[in-house]
Amino acid sequence: MPPFWGLRNLLRHPLRSALSVAGIAVAAAMLLDMVMLSGGMDRSFERLLLMRGFQVRVTPKGTLPFDTEATLPHLAALLATLRRDPDVVAVGPVLGTSVYGRRPSGHGDTLVTLVGYGIDPSAQTLYALLSGRDLAPADSVGLLLSAPAAKRLGAAVGDTVSLVGRLDPQMAEAAAVRRFVVRGTVRWLYDYRGQPSVGTLLPLMQQLARDQGEDRASVVMVKLRDGAPMRTVTRRLRAQLPNAEVNDVADLVAHFRERLVYFRQLALILGTVSLLVTVLLVATLLTITVNERLPEIATLRAIGVPSRRVLQQVLLEGTVLTLVGGTVGLVLGLVTARYLDAILTSFPGLPAAFSFFVPRVDAIAVSGTVVLLTGALAGLYPAWLAARAPIAATLRAEAT
Amino acid sequence: MTAVLAARNLTKSYRLEAGVVHALRGVSLDVGAGEYVAIAGPSGSGKSTLLQLIGGIDVPTAGSVEILGTSLAGLRDSALTRLRLMRIGFIFQRFHLLPVLTARENVELPMAEAGMPGRERRARADELLAYVGLEARATHRPTQLSGGEMQRVAIARAMANRPALLLADEPTGELDAATGRDILALFRKLNADGTTLVVVTHDDRLAAEAGRVVQMLDGRIAE
Repeated sequence: MPPFWGLRNLLRHPLRSALSVAGIAVAAAMLLDMVMLSGGMDRSFERLLLMRGFQVRVTPKGTLPFDTEATLPHLAALLATLRRDPDVVAVGPVLGTSVYGRRPSGHGDTLVTLVGYGIDPSAQTLYALLSGRDLAPADSVGLLLSAPAAKRLGAAVGDTVSLVGRLDPQMAEAAAVRRFVVRGTVRWLYDYRGQPSVGTLLPLMQQLARDQGEDRASVVMVKLRDGAPMRTVTRRLRAQLPNAEVNDVADLVAHFRERLVYFRQLALILGTVSLLVTVLLVATLLTITVNERLPEIATLRAIGVPSRRVLQQVLLEGTVLTLVGGTVGLVLGLVTARYLDAILTSFPGLPAAFSFFVPRVDAIAVSGTVVLLTGALAGLYPAWLAARAPIAATLRAEAT
Repeated sequence: MTAVLAARNLTKSYRLEAGVVHALRGVSLDVGAGEYVAIAGPSGSGKSTLLQLIGGIDVPTAGSVEILGTSLAGLRDSALTRLRLMRIGFIFQRFHLLPVLTARENVELPMAEAGMPGRERRARADELLAYVGLEARATHRPTQLSGGEMQRVAIARAMANRPALLLADEPTGELDAATGRDILALFRKLNADGTTLVVVTHDDRLAAEAGRVVQMLDGRIAE
């Protein structure tokens, strides 16, 4: 006979057991999703920030990258200060601004609203080339387009595109117009889904954005040499640049975490609810089955089966139920996380590369272990009930 | 004759909402090795309570029980459970086989608890099933067996660890007359083979089979 014969009890009411497994699976899926949500956002954000290996961001005082339209003045001096630091190996200034693209149509030209990036192609900070070629360092007419921008402008690699800057909406007059040739299409790493972005050399975008092409940037991305102590270098740069905001990845993740504290609270509440559901499901099912089987359990005790064996068998039933439900739930959680992620990342203003739910081995291990322990603990009361069943009284009640 | 069971002045009272019920009022009973004793009496006379006390599955309000010289009073639950496993066999009116186990597995269960190796206990289970005439039904589940067959499996289970004392509570109560006769014949055979039997019954035929009949009335032995 099998050592774990008690498990066969789970097959006595297959539908009931299957429904319990389904309930535990849903609860486990929810728990996994919440664990992934609570830790996943930080990790995803950190991964996003480190996509090109730039660990530090310099922004206008009191701001975070692309949080406002404020810009850093005296960019050349700032870059020189940064480059003098022995631990800095690359700096990538970026100017983000609103520009317009002219698109030929039947009634003359129409203007398309775009996000414009002024970049330094020698410091690969912001994009990945999809087609065509990259900008050369002195390419005074080259332009890179995101796929949505190419679609809106109806432009392809090799086409000529006019960009308009400093447009006066009252007068419908443009203070700056410049023609560019599309060199390539790119994926801008921090763009939200469907964002129409274009990029050209920083000085050209500065001219489109401001009078006299002031030497300004929205953010400077800083790459440190391998092994450099990030926190120490950040503190040093902060001291050297008192009029700018210097944050490393850890600072930015901490800021991000503060802003998304509601998500974490939501994850905690829903995760706790899912654990409670697991406890209630397992405890209810096992209590019902134990109560149904009390005469049988009393008989077992009467013929010499020790109470600890009864306890073990009931606990094992709960553990196996939870194990099966939990395993199904973890798979379900990974699948639902993909759909939930697609919904949440479609919110405007979020980088498309950002994920709310990041599948991680530790999240799966933690969720699986917690669900299993919870299920096993939930079996304690019914197991105790079974082990402590009064033999004589139960048999007497059964006989009458 | 060696005393297998010695019960002295057993009293059992239950406190109910309506008041105290005295199920047993000073019952003494000795059973020697190889005896076949029937405890008979009307419903509510205390015979099943007596069986539960001498089987160590209930505790007397007063009095003492000894099985093979071992007093049950003061035994820890684990020791009492072990004694029931190794020294006492139980047969119930409603069989109480585990429905998730086959006939052979039900018989194996007490042997597995006693720590008997798998091969040995399978052989013993098959031997016992053959003894009760069910060798062909070893792999059947209780739901696939008739009432009489289930009771035979229960008897085989009760005999698994070669108990010194076999206790049966209304073993024919759920069976038709013909099947009941088969069980009577089986008990006769068990006793002839040396098994000490104490059977609670209000089946006159079953009581008549016993070597000694103890009549009970109102919680006392009616001499």
